[in-house]
Amino acid sequence: MLPTTIVLSVIAIILIIVNAKKTGKHYEGLKSGMRLLLQSLPLILCAFILSGMIEVLIPVEFVQNWLSKEAGMKGIFLGSFGGMLLAAGPYAAFPIIAAIMVSGAGLGTVVSLITGWCLLGLSKAPFETAFYGVKFFIYKLIASIPFCLAAGILAHIIEIVLM
Amino acid sequence: MKKSLISIFVPAVILTVIAFVAGGSGLVMKGFTISMNTALRTALMLFVSFVLIGQLQILITKEVLERLLQKLSGLKGIIIGAIAGGLFPGGPYIYFPFIQSFNNKGMPFYIFITFIFGKNVYDFTRIPMEASLIGPNITLIRNLITLPVPIIAGLIARRFYKNRTIESILMKEGEKHAADNNSS
Repeated sequence: MLPTTIVLSVIAIILIIVNAKKTGKHYEGLKSGMRLLLQSLPLILCAFILSGMIEVLIPVEFVQNWLSKEAGMKGIFLGSFGGMLLAAGPYAAFPIIAAIMVSGAGLGTVVSLITGWCLLGLSKAPFETAFYGVKFFIYKLIASIPFCLAAGILAHIIEIVLM
Repeated sequence: MKKSLISIFVPAVILTVIAFVAGGSGLVMKGFTISMNTALRTALMLFVSFVLIGQLQILITKEVLERLLQKLSGLKGIIIGAIAGGLFPGGPYIYFPFIQSFNNKGMPFYIFITFIFGKNVYDFTRIPMEASLIGPNITLIRNLITLPVPIIAGLIARRFYKNRTIESILMKEGEKHAADNNSS
C-alpha cells in the first residue's frame, strides 16, 4: 500500500510542478481536487460500508464455486455481467470490486468484472440512449461482451501460468 | 452525485439489515470494522489520488482534445482517438455532449467508436483510484490486457464503416431521441 502512495505522490508532485510552469493554475487544480474529494466523500464512505457488508455476507462456498480461480469460465461470465449491473461510479465500484477480490475471487473474475463495469456498465445507458439512441446502446453492449470475456480469459490464463 | 449516493446508500442499508438478520449485531460490527480498516488504510492514497485528479483536470482541457480530434483518420487517428478518450476528464454527462459536437464536422464513425471505447476502458484519471483500492499489480495487469480493446474496436468499426461519418450513421436516431427528450 505504501509504495503505491509514494508513486502516486511523486506523480502528483510532478503534475503540480508541470501545471505551475505551464498554466500557473496549480492552486486551482488543488482546489478542484479537494472539492471533488469532499463531494465524493459521502459516496466513498457508503461504498466502504457496502463493501464491508459484502465481505462478511458473501458465502465462502459461493466464492469458491463461482468466482474463484477454480471457477474458471463461470467466474468470468459472472464477472462480466456483474460488472454490467454494478451501475456506479469509480468511487463506489472499486471498493465493491476490492471486497469481492478479498473474498477470494480469481484474477479472471476480477478483470472481467472491472472490464464489464467499464464497457457494459448500465450507469452510462441513459446517456448513450439519450444522445445516440437505443439501437446504438444495444449494438455497443453486444459488441462489448466479447471484449469483457476475452479480458477475463486472458487474466485467468495469466493467473494459471504465472501466479 | 445525489443519484449515485442513493444507489449506493440504499444497498448499503439493505445489506446491513441482512447482516443483522443473518448474524446479529456481531456480524454488522464485523462488517463495519472491515469498512473502517479499509477506509483508514486507503485514506492517504485517496487524498493523493484526488490531488492528482485535480491537476489532470486543469492540464487536460476540452480545447486541447478538440484540437487533437479535429482532423484524424486511419490507424494514427484510431490510436490518438483512443488516447484522447482516455484523457478526457469527467463522466458521461460531459463526454457525450463533447463528442456530439463533432457530429456535423465529418468525423469518421470509427474514430467516434474508438473515442467512446478509449474513454470507457482507459480513463486515465480513474487509474489512481483503481491502483489505490484494487492494488497496483492487478491494475497493471488489467490495463495491459485491455490496452488493445479500443484499438480493436476502432479497427472493426473501420472495417465495416470505413467511409461513413458519425452523422451518416447515428445522427438521425440520436437527433430523434434528443428531440424526444427535449419535448418531454
